[in-house]
Amino acid sequence: MIWAPSSAQTTSGESDLDYDFGDRAAELRGRLRQLIADEIPPGYLGAFTDDPADLEVAQRFCHRLADEGLLTVAWPKEYGGAGGSVWEQTVVREEMWAHHEPRGAQYMGLNWVGPAIMAFGTDEQKQRFLPPIAAGDVIWCQGFSEPDAGSDLASLTTRAEPDGDGWRITGQKIWTSYAEMAQWCVLAARVGTATAKKHEGITMFLVPMDREGISVRPIRSMLGRHHLNECFFDDVWAGPDEVLGGVGNGWSVIRRALAHERVGIVRYARCDRLLSAFAEEEGVPELLRARWARALVDVRVARLLAYRAVREQEAGEPRDATASIARLAVTQCDQQVAEVLFQAQEDRSLEAGADAPVAGAVEDHWRYAQAATVASGTIEIQRMIVSRHLLGGRK
Amino acid sequence: MNPDLPSEAAEYGAGAARAFASLGGLDAARRAEVDPAERGRSVARALEALGADQLDPRADPDAAAAAGELCRAAGRVMLPYPVVPLLLRTGGAPLAVVGEGRLRVDHGDLFDEWRVATVDGRAQAAKPASSRLATKLGPFVVDLSPGGPQAEPAHRDVAFHLTLSAWLVLGVIERAVELAVEHVSGRVQFGQALSSFQAVQFQLADAAVGVEGLRELCRFTLWRLFADPERCQPDALAVRLHALETARTVLRTTQQLHGAAGLCDEYDISILCRHVQPCLRLPFGSERTALELAGAVERMGFDSLFPHGARSAVG
Ligand SMILES: Cc1cc2nc3c(=O)[nH]c(=O)nc-3n(C[C@H](O)[C@H](O)[C@H](O)COP(=O)(O)OP(=O)(O)OC[C@H]3O[C@@H](n4cnc5c(N)ncnc54)[C@H](O)[C@@H]3O)c2cc1C
Repeated sequence: MIWAPSSAQTTSGESDLDYDFGDRAAELRGRLRQLIADEIPPGYLGAFTDDPADLEVAQRFCHRLADEGLLTVAWPKEYGGAGGSVWEQTVVREEMWAHHEPRGAQYMGLNWVGPAIMAFGTDEQKQRFLPPIAAGDVIWCQGFSEPDAGSDLASLTTRAEPDGDGWRITGQKIWTSYAEMAQWCVLAARVGTATAKKHEGITMFLVPMDREGISVRPIRSMLGRHHLNECFFDDVWAGPDEVLGGVGNGWSVIRRALAHERVGIVRYARCDRLLSAFAEEEGVPELLRARWARALVDVRVARLLAYRAVREQEAGEPRDATASIARLAVTQCDQQVAEVLFQAQEDRSLEAGADAPVAGAVEDHWRYAQAATVASGTIEIQRMIVSRHLLGGRK
Repeated sequence: MNPDLPSEAAEYGAGAARAFASLGGLDAARRAEVDPAERGRSVARALEALGADQLDPRADPDAAAAAGELCRAAGRVMLPYPVVPLLLRTGGAPLAVVGEGRLRVDHGDLFDEWRVATVDGRAQAAKPASSRLATKLGPFVVDLSPGGPQAEPAHRDVAFHLTLSAWLVLGVIERAVELAVEHVSGRVQFGQALSSFQAVQFQLADAAVGVEGLRELCRFTLWRLFADPERCQPDALAVRLHALETARTVLRTTQQLHGAAGLCDEYDISILCRHVQPCLRLPFGSERTALELAGAVERMGFDSLFPHGARSAVG
């Protein structure tokens, strides 16, 4: 076979090997940056700081995005979204994460709770739950992990006992992000007795957090206030209309949720912005020039691996291994960049808040980066997925 | 936005892989080590049959992608031939990237006239001036002697050289991971295949992350060479740096997973690890490349979501 340049030029349609997101996405990025500049105070570090005003900023910002039609850019039109492409969705995720997620806890509702309800919900559930998410009115939390069910999530023991036409749920959840401020929870519980197949019987419930029998206790951590919580469910009622995706079908919902989460958090974008902001404000220390250059390359590689996973989504053939590879790269890049920036700050690394370098953003990033390789499935679990793919049937 | 290769380029690469397989795969490298003249015979003929001499990666993005795939296929068997220099000929003379001192070039003896350029684009003519090093790590490495400066700077050609040599390294490490997977799947210790040990699985997973990351970066960099030809030097240095660093970890891991066998020429991994060394060491290794990259970013910026380096690169 000989390379025949003339035949190559006849390629028609969308061009290959083109990393330009296109005019619409570029315009979207510009609009989002402008809105952030207008609405978000400089030095904003997200909704979960010690200052309650920061949470209000996030709530206001979500309403503003909803007014502009930008909150649900990637949702299908039939659910009130703009039907944007996966690349426009990527732009939204990048700009939000880069700027300390000014949507606060609502990104979860938008990224996966809403889409899971679209995929698994009844018509009535869609009508009831999707509009408030799209309007920026509601915070959801994710009640999956338990004290004895972390990586091995399928061994969860929270139980749902039949009671009349509904259920009574009892058990404990842990590490539940934003549970204290959430109005609703996607709760994984087990129906029936555990069988040899641990995935069977797991059922997903949509329950309001103010229902009788639910109590929440914040867990002090190196992350922001309100971030991690324990939730106790004591004989909590759930109606038949509050089951998502059918009794015993919870594992499919969980898989879908985790797949969304794995590509949904585009940590490379904040790394990118902080490297840029630090260099702009303080300059790159001579000692770190080479390491800084490496960090820029790592950020680029992480971004491209994330794009590969998005591309597979776009083509309708997402593979678990691709998403896991992206997550391995993105989360470790997050920690490496956090380290480079701390090396650059030297003894000022220990300072926090508005008076610290880059208004405390580097210190905040370092703390959260430590959680990157644990949250939504540890990197060890991602390595298991990747090696299973590599070894295929050989093992 | 579409990070996929043009299908023609992928097909061309697949054709190249078949051609190199019929040379015996890595056996071509083994034979060349015994009889270096073999390079100018069967290997040169195979490249000619592929029309590699008609393929100019600088012509257009499709040709560049085809060239990338050709280099990747060559890397998978560590083809004993200067494929990247061949693809970047000017007036018949292949291009090598050299350091400030010695003009040390892999397979330098295969052409009488060379064009050599430093990373900053200063070019000169050169011709072979020594016999082959004939060492374990540089079997075909030859020193050239300068033949007078050339007025035309070689910035763009150097960027292509750095990028295509990263594609070649991609082929090497991709194959290295496949070899390691085969080996640990077949080799039994403690009554079970090595692949059943999680420590082994995790090393393979990390190696795969390295390979996939370099693959995406290679593709992206080719696009940059056409999208922003004036400011692509940092991109080319970036992919070169990433290729060097990924190769170091992936080759170390995959050779280690072979145990003692990994050091023996009977095993393909050993040939890959030895024969790729000139590509990794010439003109210089990762530390200097990182410093060159830092300088280039400061001068020209670095394409990303937010501005880096030179102010002019804001975008
Ligand atoms: C910031 C943050 C936010 C979170 N938010 C939520 C939330 O909103 N809702 C929710 O439900 N959960 C949440 N989680 C929980 C998260 O999903 C779990 O922490 C995660 O799945 C790991 O479980 P674990 O912490 O129990 O660790 P464990 O499973 O106990 O693991 C401990 C260590 O052992 C390793 N390990 C475990 N099994 C294996 C194995 N088979 N082979 C090799 N190594 C293994 C792990 O990789 C890890 O390094 C959050 C966690 C964090 C850090």
